[in-house]
Amino acid sequence: MRFLYLVLASLTAGFLVGRFYSPDFGNAYEIMLYIMIFLIGVDLGLNFRVGELRKMDRKALTLPVKTLVGSILGGLGVALLLSIEPKWGVVIGAGCGWYSLTGPLIAQYSAVYGAVGFLGNLFREVLTIIIYPVIIRWVSPEDAVSIGGATTMDTTLPIISRFGGRDVALLTFVHGFILTSIEPFLLPLILSL
Amino acid sequence: MNMNIFIPLIFGVVLGYALKNRGKQPNLERLTGLALLLMIFFLGVKTGKVKINGIWLLGTSILFALLTAGGSLLLALGVRG
Repeated sequence: MRFLYLVLASLTAGFLVGRFYSPDFGNAYEIMLYIMIFLIGVDLGLNFRVGELRKMDRKALTLPVKTLVGSILGGLGVALLLSIEPKWGVVIGAGCGWYSLTGPLIAQYSAVYGAVGFLGNLFREVLTIIIYPVIIRWVSPEDAVSIGGATTMDTTLPIISRFGGRDVALLTFVHGFILTSIEPFLLPLILSL
Repeated sequence: MNMNIFIPLIFGVVLGYALKNRGKQPNLERLTGLALLLMIFFLGVKTGKVKINGIWLLGTSILFALLTAGGSLLLALGVRG
């Protein structure tokens, strides 16, 4: 639990620094991300067991589908709630947290919804970092992976594997990988409708 | 997010597997924790730098984040299989 406070303090400190000083750290975030992913890889390699792969099979394939459908329904719900054209809600929901893809793709059609697509999905990533360690007290760490959407392949993978445990790490990565593979095709398809 | 993520991941898995085969089991917990905190800090900086124009944009984005994540979780919990 103490580590969660450190995570929240780190996020808050970073947010305040970004808000009030706007420093240019260059690629620091990406570099740290790659270091984290490398360390996660080492950890997976150190603890790799074929039996774990067999255990994973079906859930790893069904969970991304549920995540995507649930996310689209959530986006559609917001569109209906705020009287936004349903197409924007569906495409923002289909982004599943991948803000750097969703925002620019939507912005080709609408600057305003491009900004919403970017921010909404960015907030989902931040929300996952804050909420995942807490909700796994009530729901299974595997099901809770769904809140991270496509980000579970990289940015939220460290926090999920840290709090959900090593057993969840592989499922988490595969979940994010499947969504990441689908979305570059799905989002332009929805936008073209 | 891009496919470059595979390069450090595969390097890591190969190194970890090689270390395992040599009977070495380094404790990565502290190193991983430190790297994670730094990564989260830089994510916070990135988020803080985003200029938000108007309450509507902020509120709508937060609502999208909550309902899309919530929808995914509800379906994951509600549909078995």
